[in-house]
Amino acid sequence: MERSFAKEVELLRRGDGEVFEGEGILAITKGLLQAGVSYVGGYQGAPVSHLIDVLNDAKGLLDELGVHFEPAPNEAAAAAMLAASINYPLRGAAVWKSVVGTNVASDALSNLASAGVKGGALIIVGEDYGEGASIIQERTHAFAMKSSMWLMDPRPDQARVVELIERAFELSEASNTPVIMEFRIRACHVHGRFATKSNKAPAISPRNPLTKPDFDYNRICLPPATYLQEKHKVQHRFPAALDFIRSQKLNEVFAGVHDEVGIIVQGGIFNTLLRALEQLGLADSFGNPSIPILCLNVTYPLVPEEVTGFCAGKRAVLMVEEGNPDYLEEAVNALLRKADLNTTIIGKKVLPMAGEYTADVVLEGVAKFVEGAVPKGVELARVGRTIARVADLKRQAKETMGAPVPKRPPGFCVGCPERPIFSAIKLLEREVGPIHIAADIGCHTFSTLPPFNLGNSVLGYGLGLASATGVAPAFGEKRVMSIMGDGGFWHNGLTSGVMGALFNGYDGVLLVVNNGYTSATGQQLIPSSAASPRHKLSIEKALTALGVSWIKTVRSYSVGTMLATLRRAMTSPEKGLKVVIAEGECQLARQRRFRPWFRAQLEAGKRTVRTRFGVDESVCTGDHSCIRLSGCPSLTVKPASDPLKIDPVAHVNNDCVGCGLCGEVAEAAALCPSFYRAEVVHNPGFWDRLVWRLREAAIGALQRLAA
Amino acid sequence: MATRPLSVLIGALGGEGGGVLTDWLVAAASAADLPVQSTSIPGVAQRTGATTYYVEIHPETNAALAGKRPLMALYPCPGDVDMVVVTELVEAGRALENGYVSPDKTTLIAATHRVYAVVEKAAMGDGRIKSEPILTAARALAKRAILFDASHDKSFRGQPLNAVLLGAIAGSGVLPIPHALFEEAIRVSGIAVEANLRGFAAGVELAKNPPPEAATEPPHASGAPTVTTEAVAGLPAAARPIAAEGVRRLAEYQSETYARLYLDRLARIAEVAPVLAPEVARQLALWMAYEDVIRVAQLKTARARIETVRAEVRARPAEPVHVTEFLKPGIEEIAAILPRGLGAALLRWGERKNRLDRLRMPMELRTTTIWGFSRLWLLARMRGLRPRSLRYAMEQATIERWLEAIERAAARDEGLAREIVATARLLKGYGDTHRRGRANFERLFAEAIEPAIAAPGPEATARVKRAREAALQDPEGRALDAALAAEGSRITKAAAE
Repeated sequence: MERSFAKEVELLRRGDGEVFEGEGILAITKGLLQAGVSYVGGYQGAPVSHLIDVLNDAKGLLDELGVHFEPAPNEAAAAAMLAASINYPLRGAAVWKSVVGTNVASDALSNLASAGVKGGALIIVGEDYGEGASIIQERTHAFAMKSSMWLMDPRPDQARVVELIERAFELSEASNTPVIMEFRIRACHVHGRFATKSNKAPAISPRNPLTKPDFDYNRICLPPATYLQEKHKVQHRFPAALDFIRSQKLNEVFAGVHDEVGIIVQGGIFNTLLRALEQLGLADSFGNPSIPILCLNVTYPLVPEEVTGFCAGKRAVLMVEEGNPDYLEEAVNALLRKADLNTTIIGKKVLPMAGEYTADVVLEGVAKFVEGAVPKGVELARVGRTIARVADLKRQAKETMGAPVPKRPPGFCVGCPERPIFSAIKLLEREVGPIHIAADIGCHTFSTLPPFNLGNSVLGYGLGLASATGVAPAFGEKRVMSIMGDGGFWHNGLTSGVMGALFNGYDGVLLVVNNGYTSATGQQLIPSSAASPRHKLSIEKALTALGVSWIKTVRSYSVGTMLATLRRAMTSPEKGLKVVIAEGECQLARQRRFRPWFRAQLEAGKRTVRTRFGVDESVCTGDHSCIRLSGCPSLTVKPASDPLKIDPVAHVNNDCVGCGLCGEVAEAAALCPSFYRAEVVHNPGFWDRLVWRLREAAIGALQRLAA
Repeated sequence: MATRPLSVLIGALGGEGGGVLTDWLVAAASAADLPVQSTSIPGVAQRTGATTYYVEIHPETNAALAGKRPLMALYPCPGDVDMVVVTELVEAGRALENGYVSPDKTTLIAATHRVYAVVEKAAMGDGRIKSEPILTAARALAKRAILFDASHDKSFRGQPLNAVLLGAIAGSGVLPIPHALFEEAIRVSGIAVEANLRGFAAGVELAKNPPPEAATEPPHASGAPTVTTEAVAGLPAAARPIAAEGVRRLAEYQSETYARLYLDRLARIAEVAPVLAPEVARQLALWMAYEDVIRVAQLKTARARIETVRAEVRARPAEPVHVTEFLKPGIEEIAAILPRGLGAALLRWGERKNRLDRLRMPMELRTTTIWGFSRLWLLARMRGLRPRSLRYAMEQATIERWLEAIERAAARDEGLAREIVATARLLKGYGDTHRRGRANFERLFAEAIEPAIAAPGPEATARVKRAREAALQDPEGRALDAALAAEGSRITKAAAE
């Protein structure tokens, strides 16, 4: 795993009266344990990967408490685990990245929500939206609405979050409904503190097991029970939820002096809103606004009386709701109409319909609202000044700098085993022309960025092959290529992609990028991880067992072999699915093992060879085609020290891990003789030194002869 | 005025230690009993992309607040950041661009070295953005700008950058946290404590006495050559140092006679267009010292080379270094050094059936072994055969064509002549890259330069310039195709009119 929480998990043991100080994800985990959760399942993905990592590292504590944790093969499996709460009073939690994870889980979620739950079921989703997100931009909100699950969006205060996790289980039990709790990226990574309570061991656990299975036909998702379940949702569960939310004050009202206006805000945006108000002179630094605020820690369902009660007597209310569609704004408007209130709701009119609500976006929206609504006693001049200043700063910077600074999207790491694969594909394209590539989700999606720009579509995790089947026939004889990571392969690519391709007699190429982990999410273990202590599965064996006959496994750094193999796969007369497995361990994971080992070797005085690559500056002509075929962060440019060369020359910096790609590409592409490999012998032995000196002497003699 | 939280925005690249820096800052603030909150957006940005960390620290201690809890935000707000700390110049530019640096509030601490973005590195010519405008904006827009060059200034070279930045944060005095608590945070984190403490001290000193002009990497490393010889005395003054370097290089490359040929050619241009002489001197020297396998062997067996390599890979004096070269000579490279007739025949044979790409001899040659070195050394000794070789004849003919075009153009339109000089920049690289550059050069010559010389004028000159820039946009020549197609239609249209 990329990050170890071995030290931090000790914080999870804190009891009554102690203080926790740490990252948001740990606080959420602590909240689950304090609420007496009995099982947790999940699938990794930013921004909630760390929750999986924390639970993995907390195995000891979980065993003590009798909590079962399962890193699921995909989100659908994690959601399906929650079935335990349908029949039994077990509190369960599932966690994943949303909206994509929720998409995958939605079949199980619909059935779970229809059956209803006895034990509290809580789904923690990382709402991967805005800056730093790595997926399509959609809201989880719609899933809650369509399946009648409740959606919580707690304000990012760790103490309140932990408390609301416990309330969420109670809400779920009081209304027999699963609850989704969403956390935005920054809230997951926030470092804060709160007073802890002791963890609660679940009443039912392997130590105190169930004795008899529960059977209740009404909990089965089959007609006629499903009709009853739907009725139960609207007649019982919905009202019960409203009662609980209201009576337990899950939403919060912050009073303010300018009560002719007000603001309704999603809990997750609360702190951003308060800071904006503070900047405009409309709040203090301790979270006390002068404009009244209704903070929705539960964004679905809305409690009608809370909304109408807040809006009654107000001329205008600002609705701060991130993303689209504007479900909340529409719902609030409908509630007011039904209550015959004519408070004006201003939302997307002053705030953007799409995109993250960052500090300046909210600041500008609030300012526009205040300037439009003109509450008595508000100093409008200050509001105007603040906004003008921000605009002025950006304008000045832009004018002084002239051109915008270059973007710096994420890319393959130094020595990444995936980069050479795309170098090989680029070389293949020189021979056979452009290839349609159905890309997939994973680090390998970075191939779509410069310098490779390879990949024509991305349809979802593990769907690389499935997303090629429609387009492949349209290319006639020329095969299309699809890509899948080992993560995507086990997540669902084996079934949705490989099995479908075999069943339908698909003729095309699948490239499986096997780096041993779900690397993009932080190198969690998957069924084929070599590093896994669990039961190990083999991609090759799985393919063979299904009946794939054309399988070639290639070391990913061997660009020449990869090029030849892909060429054969693309052009072989043999019909059917051709799978190339590119093997190469994630370099981040490898370096985490290798570096300490290397340091220890050096310190122990043992002979150790360090390999790295370099460029002969005098041989480099500065055309940078090596960079266009590699893109390694350690392969960069530097000013030429040759006074005759004005273009910068290629240069390998000291981050080089000596993966060998530079040499492979130089050779496979017949690129350029500038590259060299240098092996530095640390702690050389007697023979090392002797041979070296002899060679140096001979070479020196030759050189003198020439002079 | 009520107390407000102090805000710190850290901009870094994935893997640069921004997270550790943030953790130190949080630990120090906590130890000072100040309410603190940090957040970040690592996501996949940690895979070498730009990322930010954001910290808020309330300046009153928890004890003084007596249970009151300040509200902490998760986003920096433009115009409202007390301190912006960045690990690289373009990240400073990004913070400036977003309005996070303001003259009445922000202390900007920036390492000004460059880590080039992919788009900057991958350009065929020079895609690097200019550093100076960012530095100017940094000085103009920050309340206080502490700028330093972490990679060239020797006080910081080799120091852990995040520790230096922590020191500068402490030394700037913006945060009410004593230095000892920052140092304690480093000790508690327990990783490379001594090195980090040294970096911290350097950072504290930096904030106290920032270097007056934080230089950044110069666009050109060594500037103009300084040694001149008598041989170049007849040339315009501005061309002399470059020409002297050219003479030195070509004498080493081939012979004194070859160097004289260079000077004669240069004199021809200097006569008709003295202002073009420096640039022609530069381009012509590079061109005449074209890289065939003999040249590559010569450069790789040069005496100073092993020392350059050893310095580059940071080998210590007693550590042996083995160097392996990657060579893959093919038909073109061999034909290039064969006598004209033979070479041309071989090339004709090779051009059939895709043999040029298929038939290559990949070899990994160890130039630190006697056998490996000797082979390259012998190859380098073959330069005497070069003047009779196929490539030599081809290059000299093209050079002559280029020089004549410059002369002809200079007589009528100096701007056009200047553009023709610049087209030599297209001829770069090895193998496939070189072949494409050559094809682009030929197309440009035939389709833009020849027509321009025939009918010069500002529009004709601009056409050559556009075509040259297009040729440098992508290696496949797509932009050049588009440019020449557009030009072609324009020319046809003009002719029709």
